[in-house]
Amino acid sequence: MYAPPIQRLITELGKLPGVGARTAQRLAMHILRASPQDAAALAEAIREVKERIGLCEVCFNFADEPRCRICADERRDAGVICVVEEAGDVIPVERTHEFRGRYHVLGGALSPIDGVDPGDLKIGELYRRVSDPAEPIREVVLATNSTTTGEATALHIADTLRERSPDVVVTRLASGLPVGGDLEYADEVTLGKAFAGRRRL
Amino acid sequence: MTGALKTEAVVIRSLRYGEADRILHLYTPHRGRIAAIAKGVRRSKSRFGGRLEPYFRLHMVLYQGRSELLTVTSADTITGYPRLREDGAAIDSAARACDAVARMFETADPHPGVFALLCNELALLDAGAGGPRTHATHANQLAFRLKLLLAAGLAPQLAGCASCGEADHLVAFSGAAGGVVCSACEAGGFALGEAAHAFMTGALGRALADVPEADELALRQAERAISETVEHHGHIRLRAASAR
Repeated sequence: MYAPPIQRLITELGKLPGVGARTAQRLAMHILRASPQDAAALAEAIREVKERIGLCEVCFNFADEPRCRICADERRDAGVICVVEEAGDVIPVERTHEFRGRYHVLGGALSPIDGVDPGDLKIGELYRRVSDPAEPIREVVLATNSTTTGEATALHIADTLRERSPDVVVTRLASGLPVGGDLEYADEVTLGKAFAGRRRL
Repeated sequence: MTGALKTEAVVIRSLRYGEADRILHLYTPHRGRIAAIAKGVRRSKSRFGGRLEPYFRLHMVLYQGRSELLTVTSADTITGYPRLREDGAAIDSAARACDAVARMFETADPHPGVFALLCNELALLDAGAGGPRTHATHANQLAFRLKLLLAAGLAPQLAGCASCGEADHLVAFSGAAGGVVCSACEAGGFALGEAAHAFMTGALGRALADVPEADELALRQAERAISETVEHHGHIRLRAASAR
């Protein structure tokens, strides 16, 4: 129906997550209507991000230099590591402004049924980081997702760290009710965890 | 057939889909294994909350349209097995149990017995989680699989030689013959010790909560017997029963 270059653009856009055939068509039409400068800027941004962005050599977050901006920032507390599943999980934690330590990105969660074992994640690198005497670690915060695989990953790391680095405090993000959520809609496990983790006012 | 489907179900697998959705694999007593989409469930304010995580046992209402994929419209918890979720070994065992059910009973044929067995297994894992009487053991996983074989009509022949009927000198196991074999018929089988034979017989006869004990060699032989039976007769390859 379309000229081959347009069809190719629609096909490529359709591969993006959350973009179906209709949305891909709309985006392609938008790009066609855009000025040549805007379209070229988009193409250049995609090319540049693929060429320049790699993984931080310390925490495996996205970085445009050997170390990401957080690991390179001397003002961050090097004694506390927050462990997350994916690089995208760093942003929501940063938005809270509650955490001033550094991160470690695992690259996924353990799931033996899907063939994801500790060797497939950056777990060994975390243990090496924690036991490195050059940068003593006081606390590891396990901020994996509150899903079954996220919990399994957190339990696995906590067990191993207890054995390998008994002096390091291992903590897990609290689970409970979302702010603004109705008690009526809370599921039993979440509400149970909220009760177990209740605090004195 | 379109419309609402009300059913009990256990979530046996959950896959991320799109921006905030999940595809669920559910095991139900009267519709076997079904797949459903739960829209927006990954958002923190989803009305489903954490109910649709794996191993939850639920009362569900699903909408069935023309697609094979149903849509979750409501879910009420029967039990979420909360203790199980705080024990790595129990989570691992629950995952392997659900995976075995998913592989051996992947059709929509009703198997209420398998559903009850799966719920029983999850309840046992939950009850023993984190304690000295844990059920997250290799022996428990093998007993569960033997009972699944029984429900699938693939239970191995253990009382006499599966080839000639001989009741004595049962020294090997043959997946092709479908059970233990005697010294005269052992060609093509592998050596099965008395302890492994006794374990399989005991595990089939006793309740899941009362699985017989056996040493690791016997358990490895029993696992091989189960795997070969399923592969030969069900054309299904099961994942390892324990993390080793």
